[in-house]
Amino acid sequence: MNRPIILVVLLVAMGFGLWAAVAPLSAVRLPGDNQLYEPQQPIAYSHRLHAGELGINCLYCHGAAEHSRRAGVPAASTCMNCHKYVTSTLDAKRAEDDLSQKENRSPRRIVSSELAKLYDAMGLDEHMNVDPKRKQHPIEWTRIHHLPSFVSFDHSRHVNAGVTCQTCHGPIETMERVRQIPDLTMGWCVNCHRDVNANGVNGKPVQASTDCISCHQ
Amino acid sequence: MSDVDNKHYWKVPADRDGGESYRLKVINEFPEELDLKGESDGINRRSFLKATGFAFAGAVVAQMTGCSRPPEQKIIPFLEQPEEIIPGREYWYASTCHGCSAGCGILTRNLDGRPVKLEGNPHHPLSKGGLCAVGQASILPLYDSHRLRIPMMGGNEAKWEQVDQAIVSRLAEVRQNGGAVRFLSSTVNSPTLRRSIREFLAGFPGSRHIQYDALSSSAIQSAHQATHGARILPHYRFDRARMIVSFDADFLGTWISPVEFTRDYTDSRSLKSTPPVMSLHVQVESRMSLTGSSADRRHVVTPRECDDWVALLASKIARLAGQTLAAPALDPQSDALIDELANQLWHHRGQSLIVCGSNRTATQVHINRINHLLGNEGQTVDLAAPSRQRQGDDAELETLRKEIAAGKVSALFILNANPAYDLPDFAEFAQQVQQIPLVVSFADRLDETASLAHFVCPDHHYLESWHDQEPVAGLISITQPSINPLHQTRAVVESLALWRGKPADAYTLMQQTWKEDLLKRQNTHSQFQTFWDQALQMGFAQVQPESPAAKSFNGPAVAAAASTQPSVPSGKLALVLYPTIGMLDGRNAHNAWLHELPDPVTKVTWDNYASFSPATAASLGITEGDVVRLADDQVKIELPAHLQPGQNDQVVAVALGYGRKGTDRFAFVGPQWLESKPTVEPGHLVGRNAASFLTRQDNQTLYSNRSVQVERTGARHALASTQLHHSIDVPANLASPDERRRPIVEETTLAALAKDPHAGANHHELFPSLWAPDQKYPGHKWGMSIDMNACTGCSACVVACQIENNVPVVGKDEIARQREMHWIRIDRYYTSEGYDTDVAHQPMLCQHCENATCETVCPVLATVHSSEGINQQVYNRCVGTRYCANNCAYKVRRFNWFNYAHEDQMQNMVLNPEVTVRSRGVMEKCSFCIQRISNAKARAKEDGRPLADGDVKTACQQSCPAQAIVFGDLNDPNSQVSQMRANGRSYRVLEELKVEPSIGYLRIVRNRPQQLEESHV
Repeated sequence: MNRPIILVVLLVAMGFGLWAAVAPLSAVRLPGDNQLYEPQQPIAYSHRLHAGELGINCLYCHGAAEHSRRAGVPAASTCMNCHKYVTSTLDAKRAEDDLSQKENRSPRRIVSSELAKLYDAMGLDEHMNVDPKRKQHPIEWTRIHHLPSFVSFDHSRHVNAGVTCQTCHGPIETMERVRQIPDLTMGWCVNCHRDVNANGVNGKPVQASTDCISCHQ
Repeated sequence: MSDVDNKHYWKVPADRDGGESYRLKVINEFPEELDLKGESDGINRRSFLKATGFAFAGAVVAQMTGCSRPPEQKIIPFLEQPEEIIPGREYWYASTCHGCSAGCGILTRNLDGRPVKLEGNPHHPLSKGGLCAVGQASILPLYDSHRLRIPMMGGNEAKWEQVDQAIVSRLAEVRQNGGAVRFLSSTVNSPTLRRSIREFLAGFPGSRHIQYDALSSSAIQSAHQATHGARILPHYRFDRARMIVSFDADFLGTWISPVEFTRDYTDSRSLKSTPPVMSLHVQVESRMSLTGSSADRRHVVTPRECDDWVALLASKIARLAGQTLAAPALDPQSDALIDELANQLWHHRGQSLIVCGSNRTATQVHINRINHLLGNEGQTVDLAAPSRQRQGDDAELETLRKEIAAGKVSALFILNANPAYDLPDFAEFAQQVQQIPLVVSFADRLDETASLAHFVCPDHHYLESWHDQEPVAGLISITQPSINPLHQTRAVVESLALWRGKPADAYTLMQQTWKEDLLKRQNTHSQFQTFWDQALQMGFAQVQPESPAAKSFNGPAVAAAASTQPSVPSGKLALVLYPTIGMLDGRNAHNAWLHELPDPVTKVTWDNYASFSPATAASLGITEGDVVRLADDQVKIELPAHLQPGQNDQVVAVALGYGRKGTDRFAFVGPQWLESKPTVEPGHLVGRNAASFLTRQDNQTLYSNRSVQVERTGARHALASTQLHHSIDVPANLASPDERRRPIVEETTLAALAKDPHAGANHHELFPSLWAPDQKYPGHKWGMSIDMNACTGCSACVVACQIENNVPVVGKDEIARQREMHWIRIDRYYTSEGYDTDVAHQPMLCQHCENATCETVCPVLATVHSSEGINQQVYNRCVGTRYCANNCAYKVRRFNWFNYAHEDQMQNMVLNPEVTVRSRGVMEKCSFCIQRISNAKARAKEDGRPLADGDVKTACQQSCPAQAIVFGDLNDPNSQVSQMRANGRSYRVLEELKVEPSIGYLRIVRNRPQQLEESHV
């Protein structure tokens, strides 16, 4: 056996071990556990405003959740259903209206900086028409809720059983920027399955399988 | 029954004879020995693993401190949401398979905008829901990163505009000089493509479209030209036949339309009526074909004798019909057999079917005569709506060759054909073709022929383009694109339209053909749009057959020709060339799935070889894997030898379709590690091309016309054969006295079955159960039933499972180490000996035992029982002790010795996103397609209805052309699987162990009188 190499490898391993011991215990997280992950998104989209204040149904944007394994992130065209007309906050619009009245001119078009990114992705000109000179590019959102590849989760099964979005996604309607609330570990999933088997979902009896292959396919 | 009890099943000749080497191989389940030498010096594998183990442990601890997040992932939604597309939801499109020219209907399963799986279309009139191994695997070339991405001009990559400009100007020259234009292709039965070619060639007076098939059925058409006045290929109806006699036609494996024939054949043998009836299948052949392995009677003859049998049978049938016909004299034994055959056929007049794989017109004329005299025309031989699955005309190819040799051809277009590989004189063709001023190929890669072309204008993969086919006159099968073209390829019809100055896209061109040519051939729809929409939805349309009318049989006009087949000189063997079900004519040489698929009969992977009967091999001193030289005075070839029971002693058989250019790409397929050997030796190809042994005589390509001298070279070339892998039986002569015989295969005869529905049952002592019967199945209890009498061994299920479940390709060296990963295998057993060898095919997969022995021994509970009776394998919990595989009685568990996942992003697009890609060190096995069960449950839940029988179909079940596999809920007494389990033929393999497997098998039934059965034992 080549002793020196083994020794070096062992020392490195011990170094890692020491570092682990010194690190605060509260920060210990299982690998893959993404709890409280709250990344910056390409557009500062607010669930608090849309789902909370405006009360738009989750399924308006994430309609696939009823029919598919995935909930899906809405296409930019879905945003445009409203934002073809709504280009800024109401306050900004009113302020411009007031200002234009004061300055005795017709109000200018106000576009919020975040919505400008949406229009840019769609390649729109100021009249909301597709500008062939501009390059369209899809919006690359950062994934927050991420399960390992050996886990299969089906949104439609849960939504159709009456499980609310908040059960797994937390109080999403209060979040300015989405963060992951539960740890989404296997223990967390299984506990919920056991709980609803005993108590049902909102009083409705359900059969939530605790077979391994329900999730590990 | 005592006679069946004594039946002896075996896998290789050594097994039958009880050789010691065989015993070691069977008993030694894990053949690799632990290499402990070199423990004390330098870094060896063990010390390296120890060291890295520590380092890994350290890294894990560091991870747990939470200093890092997993890598950031992006979600990229559409900009514009396409209507009715739900992300993550599967979509099905009706289409048509282009794996061969049979034109089977398929459904493509699309997920997230790309096809990931092909399945048979249950409504399709020909394939009726089945899809063969080749069809299943035909999705892989779509994602093949070795495909041509852009056109080639003079050997360099070019832009389409440059290529088009150059071709158009060269064509203008040809037109000006009055040069001859020739379009060479394999069978084209697409109405749109035929029209495009016709219109393109119309611009060049005197031009011609020549079709030839490397696996030719030209003689059948020529024979019909002679006897019926029309060059047609009949549409054979096996479902209507009560007696089938096949002379060397492998109709269940490779001949014309195997999926359709398999379904029709099993329909005629379903045993569903009372008393049970099944067709009688007699196979006369020289080697053991897949079709022969299912036959009730096999007669093993040389190729010449096969021709003589046909001639003699024709004369005997003619005598029965009150005519006289000259015939060759045969030995008294054969004469008696043919006499019996003739009488049986005469008894089944109008309900029999004689088919012949020979490509000799004289022999096929005899076949026509027999079918005519038996009154089969219009019954089992459909001449009114004939097949268009093979249109090749060998005589036209011969004419073209002469024109090319004489320098008369100015422009040659080559589509879906590879003459520089599959012609007998391919080297000469390659020479000659270089003299042609303009050669254009439409190949998807630089194959043997395309690399000689001035221009290569790659066609789309068929899943990327609009296409249609007319496999049988009057049945138009449609292909719709299920993905945007991945590369800068272009449909052939678009290229042709552009070059004749009328550019149009394939969709427009196809609709034009349908509007102008096909709409008027039907009267169901008056509007084009409804006609088109219906066809698109169903995947096919039925119109009036349009074909040259066959006149009634005109026998006297054709003299009974004597066989021109030379007899085999002593000291030589007759060479039989045949296609394998995976490679066919060589078109699938770039498909790793099909290379890795064990041949259904020989079980060899990744090679072609020279097959000898065991007796011949013994007399020549040849053993399995010896390299032999086959030579006649013109050509020679060196191939490893394989011993094939049931083959004629005067025959050596070699598969075509191997030794294709570019297959050296597979040298490093599979895992690369310290001791791995390349699948292909450097500088070599997968197998050897045997095409130079083909002969051409009387304008026909002949596949068995040569005699060869055989000699050993002294070299060895190990074949990676799976036939002894994962053996679950102990041969009787090897079992020690206290070892019990394990009845794995059970069979009976039709005569016995008529008397007793349980005939053939093995009554064996049941062991006491080690497990308490306390497992409850409150909801579903999944189970399967496999009809071994329907199973032909075609192996479509093996490839279907591989695609559905992301089973990796491991390469030849790993297979030789018994590490193939297929979740379902087909165990092939022989019984009886010599020419009487019978074959049994038994699909073997995880039996999902109620008292699973694997579950008992797993130390980490990575394999446990589900509440629905499924034996679950949890990859993320598995630590890879392999105890479960060791304890599995059926040997169906597969271990991931390596990370088989590869970095080829393009090829990874074929992976099923709903199934985990397993990593190194974990065990895996059949999951009863759990992802399909989940999907079916989700859809039922969404619709608010209970799951119905038939909602869940496993991948193997779906693809099975014979419908041998049925999956369903055993808790439901009315489910199809429960019904099949209640059948008297149903038994369970190794039932005496009391592991309670969830898979039942239905006994094989051979259509034989009982006494014949007894005489075998």
